[in-house]
Amino acid sequence: MSGVRSTRLLGRAGIGFAALVIAAWSLFPIYWMVVSSFRAPNALFTRPSMIPGPFSLESYETLLQVTDYPVQFRNSLIVASSVVAITIVLSVMIAYAVTRFRVPGKTLIIGTMLYAYMFPPMLLAIPLYGIFVTLGIADSLIALVIAHCTLTLPLGVWLLWGFFKAMPFELEEAAMVDGCTRLGSFLRVVLPLSLPGIVTVAVFAFLLSWTDYAYALVMISSDTQKTLPVGIASMIGAFDMRWGEIMAGASLIAAPLFLMFMFLSRYFIQGLSAGAMKG
Amino acid sequence: MRSRNDWVIWAFLAAGLAVTVAFVLVPVGHAIVLSLQQADSFISTPRFVGLANYARVLGEEAFWRAAGNGLIYSGLSIVLQVLLGLGFAMVLNEAFPGQRLVRGLAVLPYLLPTVVVALTFQWMTDGSFGIVTVLLAELGLGPIPWFERPDTAMASVVLASVWLWTPFVTICVLAGLQGIPLSLYEAARVDGAGAFARFWHITLPQLRPVLTVVVLLRAIWMFNKFDIIWLLTKGGPLGATEHLPILAYKRAFSQFDVGGGAAVATLSFLILTALVMLYFRLFPLEEKR
Repeated sequence: MSGVRSTRLLGRAGIGFAALVIAAWSLFPIYWMVVSSFRAPNALFTRPSMIPGPFSLESYETLLQVTDYPVQFRNSLIVASSVVAITIVLSVMIAYAVTRFRVPGKTLIIGTMLYAYMFPPMLLAIPLYGIFVTLGIADSLIALVIAHCTLTLPLGVWLLWGFFKAMPFELEEAAMVDGCTRLGSFLRVVLPLSLPGIVTVAVFAFLLSWTDYAYALVMISSDTQKTLPVGIASMIGAFDMRWGEIMAGASLIAAPLFLMFMFLSRYFIQGLSAGAMKG
Repeated sequence: MRSRNDWVIWAFLAAGLAVTVAFVLVPVGHAIVLSLQQADSFISTPRFVGLANYARVLGEEAFWRAAGNGLIYSGLSIVLQVLLGLGFAMVLNEAFPGQRLVRGLAVLPYLLPTVVVALTFQWMTDGSFGIVTVLLAELGLGPIPWFERPDTAMASVVLASVWLWTPFVTICVLAGLQGIPLSLYEAARVDGAGAFARFWHITLPQLRPVLTVVVLLRAIWMFNKFDIIWLLTKGGPLGATEHLPILAYKRAFSQFDVGGGAAVATLSFLILTALVMLYFRLFPLEEKR
């Protein structure tokens, strides 16, 4: 009997140890990024210590006062919120129409959305850039918003298609029998019920746009139009290894995502299991 | 139910489709047009050359090396992500104090923008003051030329990719594990099956549908992945980490060979399509309902 018990205990200790390893593996680079950002810059270039300190906000002050970081933060916010808004409106419209009506070529539409998942980024980025140059909107935030929507729209339609399909038609029909118009029943019945799906789409559209580097690299060249990922990556060459500022910038890009995860993790996990991804 | 105000649906559909076509299908069509033209830049007047760009690209050693690098990169990083994610999920599926917290922590890397991961890894492996370099030196190891030598650069890029994208596998497998009926394990235990036998004969077969989809999705994304490699090595050193997306980017945007870049992108899409079809042949997705 005591043999069984001690094997159990050993097993539990093993699980606990493995969990610690997983936590350390996942957390350490993030810990080191944040610790480095709050360390006095001159202390970064001595023998590093695992323990935080000496504490200093100097890296953040330099980042926000000397570089284009605040402008780029604003650019990222403008682009991401536009992408979220456009994606929600359009994917709700398409997904609703496709599920509620005998649309010819319905499977083709959904199939195309899935196929778009597979497009290599350069297969879209090269021609888009060519089109934007012709239209005269290359190197602008509008160009980047359109480019991001090529990623988020297929995803949004796919997620909401699953959502609307599962919602019983009877609800809207009851509303229409009671005298609601189609638009009225959509706005008063369907939209409120599909709010969780819409939040999931919003979360992923924001994630994709906020974290995108490849499209922004192709579309944007002037410093004042850059979004955060491209802006911070170009600091590597411009500053000669100002790791304090770079880690401060990296922490500030990650902060909104961590905040979002804390409050909306349910929608994030739900989206992942429904086939939504970010990279 | 048909009603007189179905115009709403049609309007929704028309508006949505028009934008989707403009945003997604027009660019892809335009890419194919570009790949059939020769242009010295995005503003010069292009000249139709037929399949000459494809012939030229396919005749270059750089293309085949990039295709091989892409297969090595995506193959290695997928295998490691799936193995690690499977292991993590099995641990996180057990009961231990702080389980919810560790599950949350295990997701965090996946939330990070690629650029943040690339910069942090570069800082950690900095040759003089990087924490990893210093810790290894204390153990009497290193210095390791992470991104500077052809043979280590590929391994380093794979390592960073595995760190960043394993959580997706972990989350999906964890959800799959929670769906396995416990009665199966109890029955196996009654029959005297050991831990390994239970894993092999219950856990793995039950996870098969989840794993089939997860591997497919990861494969598509890893094959197309551009940003992490570009940020860490720019395809170098000596082209050791240059795969098809990077080759396409360099052609179009640093050598201004727009037609060649578009041809590489199109070819890489064709290769991916062929691989995905082969995958479907080997591992048919089971219709659950």
